[in-house]
Amino acid sequence: MMTDARPIVTMRGICKRFGGVAALTDVDLDAYSGEVLAVVGDNGAGKSTLIKILTGVYQPTSGTMEMDGRPFEMNSHSDAIARGIDAVYQTLALADHLDAAANVFLGNELTRRIAGVTLLDNQRMRSEAERVLFERIGVRLPDMNAATESLSGGQRQAIAIARAVYHTDLRVLVMDEPTAALGPQETERTLNLIATLKAQGLAIILISHSLDDVFAISDRVLVMRRGRRAGVVNTAESTRQDVLGLIVGGNDAW
Amino acid sequence: MPGNRERMNPTTAPVASDLKTRLDPYMAIIGPLAMIVMILAFMAVMEPARYFRLSNLNIILLEAALYLPMAMAMTFVITQRGIDLSIGSIAALSGIIMAFLIKQFGFPAWIGVLCAISIGAGLGLVNGLVITKFRVPDLIGTLAMDLVYRGFALVLAKGLVLARFPDLITNIGRGRLDWFLPIPVTIGLLTMLAGYVLLRRTHFGRYSIAIGSNPEAAEMTGIAVERHRIYAYVLMGAMAGLAGVMLTGKLNAIQATSAPYFNLHVIAAVVVGGTSLFGGRASLIGSFAGVLLLSMMINALVTLRIEFFWQSVASGVVIIASVTLYTWLQRKDRDGARSLLAAARTPENRRLLRLSAAIVGAVTLLLALGWLLAGAPNPSG
Ligand SMILES: Nc1ncnc2c1ncn2[C@@H]1O[C@H](COP(=O)(O)OP(=O)(O)O)[C@@H](O)[C@H]1O
Ligand SMILES: [Mg+2]
Repeated sequence: MMTDARPIVTMRGICKRFGGVAALTDVDLDAYSGEVLAVVGDNGAGKSTLIKILTGVYQPTSGTMEMDGRPFEMNSHSDAIARGIDAVYQTLALADHLDAAANVFLGNELTRRIAGVTLLDNQRMRSEAERVLFERIGVRLPDMNAATESLSGGQRQAIAIARAVYHTDLRVLVMDEPTAALGPQETERTLNLIATLKAQGLAIILISHSLDDVFAISDRVLVMRRGRRAGVVNTAESTRQDVLGLIVGGNDAW
Repeated sequence: MPGNRERMNPTTAPVASDLKTRLDPYMAIIGPLAMIVMILAFMAVMEPARYFRLSNLNIILLEAALYLPMAMAMTFVITQRGIDLSIGSIAALSGIIMAFLIKQFGFPAWIGVLCAISIGAGLGLVNGLVITKFRVPDLIGTLAMDLVYRGFALVLAKGLVLARFPDLITNIGRGRLDWFLPIPVTIGLLTMLAGYVLLRRTHFGRYSIAIGSNPEAAEMTGIAVERHRIYAYVLMGAMAGLAGVMLTGKLNAIQATSAPYFNLHVIAAVVVGGTSLFGGRASLIGSFAGVLLLSMMINALVTLRIEFFWQSVASGVVIIASVTLYTWLQRKDRDGARSLLAAARTPENRRLLRLSAAIVGAVTLLLALGWLLAGAPNPSG
């Protein structure tokens, strides 16, 4: 299950306040290479806030993060990308009027200098995008020239993931509700895709509302409740009732 | 998120979408071409002798040439979901400053021309900064700056008409290369070509589409959204400055009130050409066809001896018609609006119908009342 004894990333005692609201209180998280960690919890439990801190979008009010045992801080999402942490968001961040290759390389275009002028190298981006999509994600698009708005949800997600994994030094991939808007077939395909990426040694953090997905694919489950870590369980050793119990928190006064 | 779900529906009929994706790149050109053919057919019936003369073709091309550089730049602005309503004033102000530099201060003509373009770029920069740094919405921001620039032009030139310029300027405006196209047409085509390279082969072009397509995604992927929006307004200003030079050369004269219809005309041309006002969809070849279409249409109005002021009506109608058409074409589920009659029957629309009827009724009633109570006419002149 855990191919590596030491976590790639650890978060310890993370707190996050928005004004007076404590969105996160004292949360710990470990992400291991070749492991899928599911993060579950009710709406407003703090899942999105937690992963936004992990991906550099938010900065924690207090708490520490370590990578390979060394503490680090991030000021922006690009800091996270530079450290090999990237995310595929619930609302796929694609520019749907551009084709697949343009989206895979968006903000990171391959260029070529012609007579001292830097121009985009569309041909190389196309072949590279095609290669990454096929070799790492196992997807072949029917038409690489089509704008992504004409593609299916699963294909668009593959493009968003290809953008993240194109960086060869990607180590942690966060996925926020990747199957929320997909039909059963596309969900199946996305779960397979997650398994593929896991086999490549990535640490996957999967936020999901679907316990079906969580139990199908994850190795461990981190349950959040009202901004706190309600518990972490090994998926193989627990039942849905256990996890549901942690999500709802039956012992609470309310 | 309903929008997302709709987009992700994978079960759209493959045949229909195939045809649509294959037609999509040509969409921008099919629309204006069809309208050009319609104008040609119409004029072939109405006024073939005067419309289809070589000298008239030249007039059409010269008219079109003036708008091509601005249409190129406006394509980028609109693709980014922006708009620029100040280009007429930028053209007039740049032209007037150039005229003063050359005529009053004895500047060499070529420096005057470069000054006009640079000043245009500078005014565009001001627009861009107002929009991105002061966060004034583009519509209001450029409309207000339009007043400012036009005001400066009036302050500088008063009622003066500055006329008679060096050959360089008139050549730029209406010269002809012996063995080739008129010089302004060549300039217009070159700017279009440059625009095509910008759009397809540079970061600026790629990011313009990305920004218009999905501003949040563009921001999230680390694109410098504000900087690239400013670039678009600078390009727009520079091309408006160039148009100011071309206009000055074409008429061999410039005054503060020149170029009153540039805004509407250029926006109409770009929108007719299939560049979407909702962003992300750019078509330079469409803008080119749009400019040609509008020039032919206005020339047709002139040929038919229809009053000049109808130009403005025609441009406005063309904008509304083409935006409506493109929006309708791009709607995902068109079967929802199966018949116009059915649509009019929804309670919401019935209320709107009642409102329309009430307004039309009120106006009719007032006109009738005025007619009945009318005294002797009281001409203002
Ligand atoms: N940008 C923000 N400003 C203020 N409050 C926020 C912000 N983001 C999240 N919150 C609050 O933090 C809590 C956790 O939200 P979130 O992380 O989005 O939960 P989840 O993703 O689990 O549904 C909620 O109470 C939410 O209202
Ligand atoms: Mg959330």
